[in-house]
Amino acid sequence: MTNVARTGQMVLIAASAMFFAALTSAMVVRRGLSGDWAAPALPAWAFATILLPLLASWFVHTGRIGIAALAGAALVASQFALLANLQLARIAGAFCFVLIAAHAAHAAAGAAALARFGARAAIFWHFAGALWIYVLFLFGVWA
Amino acid sequence: MIIFSIDHKVIGKQYIGLALFSVVLGTLLSLIMRFHLVYPDAKVRLFQAMWPDGAPGGQMTPELYLSLMTMHGTIMVFFVLTTAPQSGFGNYFLPLQIGAHDMAFPVLNMLSFWTTALSLLTLLAAFFVEGGAPLSGWTAYPPLSGLGRITGPGEGLGQDLWILSIALFCVASLMAAINFIATIIELRAPGMGYFDMPLTCWGWFVTALISLFAFAVLLAGGILLLLDRTAGTSFFIPGGLIVNDQVQSRSGGSPILFQHLFWFFGHPEVYIAILPGMGLISTVLSVFSGKKVFGYKAMAIALVSIGGLGFVVWGHHMFISGMSPYSSIAFSVLTLAVGVPSAVKTFNWLATLWGGRLRFTAAMHYALGFVSLFITGGITGLVLGQPGLDVYFHDTYFVVAHFHLIMGVAAIFAIFAAFHYWFPLMYGRFLNERLGKVHFFLTFLGVYAVFVPLHFAGFVGNPRRYPDFKEYEFLKSVMPLHIGVTHAAYFLGAVQLIFLFNYFWSQRHGAIAPANPWNAATREWRND
Ligand code: HEM
Ligand SMILES: [Cu+2]
Repeated sequence: MTNVARTGQMVLIAASAMFFAALTSAMVVRRGLSGDWAAPALPAWAFATILLPLLASWFVHTGRIGIAALAGAALVASQFALLANLQLARIAGAFCFVLIAAHAAHAAAGAAALARFGARAAIFWHFAGALWIYVLFLFGVWA
Repeated sequence: MIIFSIDHKVIGKQYIGLALFSVVLGTLLSLIMRFHLVYPDAKVRLFQAMWPDGAPGGQMTPELYLSLMTMHGTIMVFFVLTTAPQSGFGNYFLPLQIGAHDMAFPVLNMLSFWTTALSLLTLLAAFFVEGGAPLSGWTAYPPLSGLGRITGPGEGLGQDLWILSIALFCVASLMAAINFIATIIELRAPGMGYFDMPLTCWGWFVTALISLFAFAVLLAGGILLLLDRTAGTSFFIPGGLIVNDQVQSRSGGSPILFQHLFWFFGHPEVYIAILPGMGLISTVLSVFSGKKVFGYKAMAIALVSIGGLGFVVWGHHMFISGMSPYSSIAFSVLTLAVGVPSAVKTFNWLATLWGGRLRFTAAMHYALGFVSLFITGGITGLVLGQPGLDVYFHDTYFVVAHFHLIMGVAAIFAIFAAFHYWFPLMYGRFLNERLGKVHFFLTFLGVYAVFVPLHFAGFVGNPRRYPDFKEYEFLKSVMPLHIGVTHAAYFLGAVQLIFLFNYFWSQRHGAIAPANPWNAATREWRND
């Protein structure tokens, strides 16, 4: 991998991390300010999707890029299924929707980048995987 | 293909062209606003023709005024001040100055420009849709910006387009920032360390880092605001609102939360506008004093500390939002601390001039003008940074005077300096020096004539963002001042034609420039 590709991805990751940090802090503040917080109910299978990015990262690691991209696509599909069942009128559900949708955009971009650039896009993919664990943690534990 | 070019020089010129178009439009809007402020009852056929709903019978409605104000601010802040110094001149000269062939990601570079162009078109479309352009200013505070059509004309589709435009702009700026940062980290010429880069490159570097973090946050805020408008969520909409006699059903949201997200971006944004200019001014002052920049390393470190401090002072825009006095004090102290690196820069500029063999070229004039404006505009920042004073001054013309001098004008002077300084490289010819100097003196006079009196309007408590002042007895005494300001603004607008003429005429007919006409030491002037 060229240095330029690596540095570019690291900088992109910094921007994405900032974006998710902004959404998270908005959520913390919004939850603290009003008494209308009711944890969103994600179906149990949502937490099983944690395996998909992990698997994908492992496939990337072992050089099976095609399957990795497919696992990424499967993650995006499952995220769409989750989005379809969230209620925007409740504020916790709305935040859940935004964070999952934002992640789906990252996962889709990451999977597409794997398909297009192969292992050169690995760093971003690993980041996207870690980010999904973070989002699930937010709504599984914190919220 | 020239349109979707991936050449950094072409893209730089495209950005500059976009900014020039925007600045002309933004200026025209401001002149119309100034006219309305002093002749609020005038009936103008042209207004009627342009805005049949906004100016029935030629008489401008308050809403039309607010929409012009919103578009003026948005166009100037985003499409002029964020675009020209960084993406325009930066794209053109950064690779040349660090000895790179192009930016790190040329295709991404092309995409950033076209996303910016799409963003501008989206914004301008707001003028033409039902209800017209939005009313909520460049800061787009909810609830006004979050409830839709019911809060006024322009708050329907116009406001949606505004948010969409800003979201696109965020994406474009993030792409550009990634490109700048990767280019500087990876593509410096062999042997060129960070502290060997010209200060211009430091300016672009720090600006790109700021953009990266600031625009990511604005994007988040914009998305949430758009959902409040279109999906019935309640991130920012509080309960119990009654708008135009209709009770709003949303509850629990916090408008203050939006202010935090906005200003976490908004304060760094003002540095995005000025840091590239600071870098350039250092270079211009040093070239035309025939000396090295005084305290080069301190200058670079000052840029970094201004950029870093910029992320912890946003609360000074919100002193009156009901924040705890302890937070105010913290934000105040941090804000005043920005004065330290700013003073370091100012004194180093003066020390660079000291004992030099000064050459008073047009670019040098603008650079000196920049220093002057940076001081006059920066001093009032120290006034506003104190909560006790800001509670009074907030939302008065004092703030308008502060930020126009420093951002609206100092940053623009840096752009003028950049044109005069780099024109020989961009077009092989000089901008006419004599016209440049005439333009400089008239503009310098004009900006002080427009913006110094506005401080006094602020003293009186003259509120900003009001479409006219005729209802307010206490403002009667300020009207003569406003009339003077409006005429000064006409004058200032008119003398900009000198620059435009010079810019277009000199591209074809300017004196042919030799290689390195200013005897500069930086790489872009070398022929290799
Ligand atoms: C030592 C330096 C500075 C200090 C202490 C300072 C302080 C402040 C404060 C406290 C305010 C808020 C006033 C209010 O809304 O009540 C303000 C507004 C503003 N400042 Fe500065 N400032 C400084 C430099 C700058 C620079 C360098 C720029 C831009 C290049 C800038 C641009 C602005 C803008 C655009 C606003 C108004 C935003 C709005 O409300 O629409 N300032 N400044
Ligand atoms: Cu500020």
